[in-house]
Amino acid sequence: MSLVFQSLVLGVLMGGLYALLAAGLTLYFGVMRVVMIAHSAFLVLAAYLAWTFTVHTGLDPMLSLLVTVPLFFALGVAVQRLLVARLRPATLTMMSVLLTFAVALVVEGLLGFVFSGTHRRIPLSYSGARLELFGASVALVKLIAFGLAVVTLAGLHVLLKVTRFGQALRATMQHREAARLLGVDTDRVAGFGFGLGLATAAVGGTALALDSTIYPSLHWHWIGPLMAIIVVGGLGSVAGAAVAALVLGVGQNLLQLPLGTTWAQTFFYAALFLTLILRPQGFFGGRLAQRF
Amino acid sequence: MAADLLELVDVEAGYGRAALVLRGLTVRVPPASVVCLVGPNGAGKSTVLKVASGLLAPRGGRIVLDGRDVTGRGPQSLLAAGLSHVLQGHSVFPEMTVGENVLLGAYTVRDKVRVAERVDFVRTLFPVVGARWDALAGALSGGQQKQVEFARSLMVSPRVVLLDEPSMGLDPKATATVFEQITRMRDAGTAVLLVEQNARRALEIADQGCVLDLGRVHLSGPAPALLTNPRLGDLYLGHPPP
Ligand SMILES: Nc1ncnc2c1ncn2[C@@H]1O[C@H](COP(=O)(O)OP(=O)(O)O)[C@@H](O)[C@H]1O
Ligand SMILES: [Mg+2]
Repeated sequence: MSLVFQSLVLGVLMGGLYALLAAGLTLYFGVMRVVMIAHSAFLVLAAYLAWTFTVHTGLDPMLSLLVTVPLFFALGVAVQRLLVARLRPATLTMMSVLLTFAVALVVEGLLGFVFSGTHRRIPLSYSGARLELFGASVALVKLIAFGLAVVTLAGLHVLLKVTRFGQALRATMQHREAARLLGVDTDRVAGFGFGLGLATAAVGGTALALDSTIYPSLHWHWIGPLMAIIVVGGLGSVAGAAVAALVLGVGQNLLQLPLGTTWAQTFFYAALFLTLILRPQGFFGGRLAQRF
Repeated sequence: MAADLLELVDVEAGYGRAALVLRGLTVRVPPASVVCLVGPNGAGKSTVLKVASGLLAPRGGRIVLDGRDVTGRGPQSLLAAGLSHVLQGHSVFPEMTVGENVLLGAYTVRDKVRVAERVDFVRTLFPVVGARWDALAGALSGGQQKQVEFARSLMVSPRVVLLDEPSMGLDPKATATVFEQITRMRDAGTAVLLVEQNARRALEIADQGCVLDLGRVHLSGPAPALLTNPRLGDLYLGHPPP
């Protein structure tokens, strides 16, 4: 029983991190109908930048966010402006898969070139620390990663719901032409949406690096589960992806008890196939995905 | 002759490299009147509205709004000049509330007092907007969504509104409401360029009518005269006389 509870708590923590890692994908798809294969490569890039930062300065890797978040925002705007916006609208979604696949290979290649293929881990004074949480024993780094996810997603939620830019972004996601007719500069908003997506990758990659060994090809391990999360959640729905991430994270952790870690991984793909068969518009997203 | 509020003169337009959709089309909308465009599917009616609102740049001809040449300007600029456009089909933001939708109509209006005044105005004109203010727009019926779209388009106090097949897919009761509201918009001083499949119904409330086919106006004049014109039936069925 306590083992199940332990798994449940770990599942929630992991689900929260998954939600953060997947948040960018919903934004790209939402604003541009783009499937961004390179998202997880940027997560790994952020992880390497955090690692470099800590190794060279001896400071906490979370401080690297002060640099990587604005940098990734600018990078996202650039990717949208210079690459994605040039694809022809008629074939955009399909071509974006190929384009961002290539971007992922370039990022991976550069990481291998600069950092070599050696596995790396951020040296942390608190990497072994554990906390008691409702009677479950939890690694401190997992709790910090979860905290980063909650703070970032809450910030994103407020930005989208309350600010004028957030209203314009959501309107652009939901009906681009109507948004243009109301005076929204949808091209600019789409660029910022991409920037915002990559900014979440900066935080996500850093959170990931706190508790993982990193290597240049690590992103291939992540892109599948993250895609599964946004499809189950309903493409383009930030809140839907967050709920799906929690459900899948908890499910995966509970299944690890009877099945072991390898088979528990397949839970994502089982959920993906079931969703595509039963409810292709996703389980937690709304009407948006039904339009496509 | 009274000056027209919106004029499209000899407009040519098309999509990408494909053949022209509009081939020298002229439509004029006088102030505070309803001008109705009818014609078969694919005649180019929606394209006329897209050119007029700046969504699609014309390849030839002129667009004049309130005496000023606005040819080639984008939607933002035309909106500021007093023109709004309600698209064909559903165009609410479905995952946002009715209130958020309506307030986005005032996206370009910075004066908070004015926005509040307009909210009051559209809530009076469209009671469903007030009644369902906090509901998700996508959860409303088709007719209610249309009213939200109307309300949203009126937030900038436009001088001319383009409506693209507002009764499409609506039941008879919702259709009656939509037509009644178009009349009320006109009575409140807003000019309306109305595209409708429901030609007889639309011409009954319109002041002027134009029959469009294959990117040209084939027949135009006062709506009552068009209604009794025997050529209307022929044209509307898509067989323009030689
Ligand atoms: N976005 C578009 N891209 C290419 N062709 C289009 C597009 N929209 C409309 N068309 C073409 O333009 C013509 C006129 O369309 P439209 O203006 O929508 O007609 P209507 O509103 O009268 O039914 C049609 O032949 C249609 O196929
Ligand atoms: Mg049309």
